[in-house]
Amino acid sequence: MNKVLYLKELKRNRKNSLIWGAIVLGFTFMILSIYPSFAEMGEQMAQLMSKLPQEMARAFGIDDATWSSIIGFYATYYGIYITLLMGIFTASTGAAILGKEERDGTAEFLLTRPLSRRTVVNSKYAALFTLLLAIYAVQTLCAIGGIVLFGTTMDWGVFQAMHVHGFVLVVFFTGISVLLASFVAPKINFMGPVVGLIFGSYFLDAISKASDTVEFLGYLSPYHYLQLQAEKGVLEVNWGASAMLIGIAVIAMWAAKARYLKRDIAG
Amino acid sequence: MPAIEITGLTKFYGKQRGIEDVHLTVKRGEVFGFIGPNGAGKSTAIRTLLGLLKPDGGSARILGHDVAKDGVAARARVGYLPSEISYYPEMTSRELLEYHAGLYGVKDVGAQMQELAEYFELDLDREIDDLSYGNKKKCAIIQSVLHDPEVLILDEPTGGLDPLMQHRFFDMLERLNAKGTTVFFSSHVLSEIQRMCSKAAVIREGKITAVEDITTLLSKQMKKVRMVLRESANFTLPEGAQNHHVSGLKHSFDFVGSTSTLIAWLNEQPLVDVTLSEPDLESIFMNYYQR
Repeated sequence: MNKVLYLKELKRNRKNSLIWGAIVLGFTFMILSIYPSFAEMGEQMAQLMSKLPQEMARAFGIDDATWSSIIGFYATYYGIYITLLMGIFTASTGAAILGKEERDGTAEFLLTRPLSRRTVVNSKYAALFTLLLAIYAVQTLCAIGGIVLFGTTMDWGVFQAMHVHGFVLVVFFTGISVLLASFVAPKINFMGPVVGLIFGSYFLDAISKASDTVEFLGYLSPYHYLQLQAEKGVLEVNWGASAMLIGIAVIAMWAAKARYLKRDIAG
Repeated sequence: MPAIEITGLTKFYGKQRGIEDVHLTVKRGEVFGFIGPNGAGKSTAIRTLLGLLKPDGGSARILGHDVAKDGVAARARVGYLPSEISYYPEMTSRELLEYHAGLYGVKDVGAQMQELAEYFELDLDREIDDLSYGNKKKCAIIQSVLHDPEVLILDEPTGGLDPLMQHRFFDMLERLNAKGTTVFFSSHVLSEIQRMCSKAAVIREGKITAVEDITTLLSKQMKKVRMVLRESANFTLPEGAQNHHVSGLKHSFDFVGSTSTLIAWLNEQPLVDVTLSEPDLESIFMNYYQR
């Protein structure tokens, strides 16, 4: 890894990271801040939601726990919105991390310096994971602060498990996006396909839960594999699925790197 | 050890030819011209030499380093000035040059950077996005020499520079070359090659068609001879003369051969006036290009 390039890459993504960080934090804080209002009318909300078609409630992960505890409320929104937002940020940054220099015409400058392509990729990957960890850590801290501020009781074990799954999803989408972007001409902006990939994965899982006849669609989505597992009445991380998805992400990034090392750089 | 040694270098873009079986040797301390029309393969050769393109065959070495296997060591000793300038628009020239120096692991370039910026009249603190093309080119020139490279690879280096800056640029190259820097100068502006280079290669349709000393290139070529005689004379034209035209006492012919042979022959004629036209590099180039 080259420290100069690593720091430059962080600086180059600073503005984008601050904007996405603000969106994710703002959303997290907003969700938690409205929980007390929902908690006050928990009974009415539960009754109201019970009128929703069962399929729709299942698809969007809404159940009695959504209104009866802050972790249930937070989990519903975390699964739908926050992982999507973080995933879109890191996956779109990942998709552009190698191609952007070519798209902007700066690859010729960078790759005619005394750096191997391997060093360039490693430095950029390191910067990407620094950004991923930063937004993930800041969001987690904000959520903890919000829960302490607005909640009464909290099951921190479930919170922890949920956030491990969130991290795995974000890493998975980032890895896949880096790989897919390596197959696309560098001059093409890959933001649209990244958003499509993440939303598509989410809705595949949602649809598969809504009806038994399309249950098989869930297997195509990483969300399907990251349901918290009930072990002796306690919800826990699905470590097997997590390891599998992280493994896929690592292989995807390795494959993208291998492609980058071998190919011609656009002028 | 040559500064640059290219052996059978070949690059195709799919089925489309880039360069084919290119052989070149540039000695250390030489200013070597690389001449060819647009699309002939000049930039492909340079981009392959710098590791941006993966060759389909052949090899290239810079100062003994194989560019495919040891490209980092090769590029550490090279300064490169590209024909098209694309830099990070949000950076100032100073930030870009500091970033460049950082990637080369060179420290304390501030004084040298300032000196070069003053020489080329470049404001280092303006954002690159706000610079004209000519000023971006100045920034590119400074980055190409800031780390004191042993080999300079220049691809169409003077595009966008006004005549004064071109003059300063050539002066700088002459000073660097006097200190031992090898210069590989790719251009289709033949007067620049003629001015700067001691040797040149001509590339056409991806293949090298000639590698010659500039003086040899010039001397080997046809000369136009126009002479006016004092009186009519019976003479046999020297060997190598052709296209003889006579108009009264005025004669003209084309001559290919040794200049001293021609001068000796002219000395035997009852001359009133004589004009020898040296071909410029343009006509030499066209000659090679049409072969």
